[in-house]
Amino acid sequence: MIEFKDLSDEIKDKIREIYEDVKRGKVSLLDLELVPIFNDLKNTLNTSNIDKYSKVYIDACELLKDKFKEFQDLLNSMEDEKKFDLYLKSNPDDKEIIELFNECWIKTFQLQSLSYDFLEQSQIKLSRDRIPPIVIEHLKREKVKENFILELPTQKFTDKMNDFLETIKKKLPCSFNSIFDSMGNQIEIYEKFVYLLHLLQIKEVKYKHETDILYI
Amino acid sequence: MYYLSKKKNKYQMGATKEEIIEVFQVKGRNESIYFQELITNLSKYIETLGLYIRFNPLDDHWFISYDDEMSNLVAANPFKGQAKLAATLFCVIICTYSNSGVARVKEIKELRKKKDILDDLKILQEEGYIETDEKTNEVRLTPLIGYQLDLQKLFTKLSLKLKSNEIKPKETSN
Repeated sequence: MIEFKDLSDEIKDKIREIYEDVKRGKVSLLDLELVPIFNDLKNTLNTSNIDKYSKVYIDACELLKDKFKEFQDLLNSMEDEKKFDLYLKSNPDDKEIIELFNECWIKTFQLQSLSYDFLEQSQIKLSRDRIPPIVIEHLKREKVKENFILELPTQKFTDKMNDFLETIKKKLPCSFNSIFDSMGNQIEIYEKFVYLLHLLQIKEVKYKHETDILYI
Repeated sequence: MYYLSKKKNKYQMGATKEEIIEVFQVKGRNESIYFQELITNLSKYIETLGLYIRFNPLDDHWFISYDDEMSNLVAANPFKGQAKLAATLFCVIICTYSNSGVARVKEIKELRKKKDILDDLKILQEEGYIETDEKTNEVRLTPLIGYQLDLQKLFTKLSLKLKSNEIKPKETSN
């Protein structure tokens, strides 16, 4: 069983202590690191303590807000120019200055070698619609309460085909298309076409390609 | 992204707000809102690539940089092993900041005290960081350092350092 930690009381006490220390002038909010508090909240948050944690989170945010306010006051209260001049007049070591530069360096990102046309073409290629990969889904077997009865045709295929042969015998010889003239239904045309193909295969009916004529 | 990552000349890269607005042919009263949205959305888009949109206050140009952590990882410091030169540049930055963008060579000399800075200024000029007017003996920063150094962060660090009284004025030797 997973054991859920609950640090809400502990964090709440910590925040209260910080406020008390700040009031006494023992510590400045600017000197305090608040990240561990938020990390503790984040790392131990779970469904069972979410209500308690949301209240502690509000307190922690208030603390952060106060820290920002203190920082803002600090920047506003400073007469930067004079203080900076004073600092330089204090003749700081070169090493000390270099330390100030640390973590302030920026590495610029340049695309000097890529032309605008190249990027435009890349953008067109990237935004082109792609065909999603085909996903093969297995069919689900559905349960049917009633007994499923597969209806079989009353006549066998051969019988039907022979009946068809008898009906067209009177027409033959005739053109291939004229066999289907009297049929208006696409399904019927398809059915009779299949019979005709079989009849051609077993040579009951013959076909002359040059004249497009069916004959026996 | 193309315009923000393109080098213009020795000192400049990226584009100004006006240039971007012109490229996208934005007209009317909402151009500033459109520009802000454009920058914000692009910033979110490239964040995952470890890139960051910045503003150079020295020439009002927007440009793209690697994010802070990566900048320090990919050896962004152009003054590695040249502490004296970097310190002189720092002095120029503070002097120009205090004097509306112009610093006199004499003032810089006074602030750097015993260190002879003329050679440093010459190198800084050759490398494109400063421009010196020989007639008036005045020094100005080019926009270059604004692309290589987070000036706002530097001033904040300096303010905090002074605030925490870590710096105690040393007695000047006569």
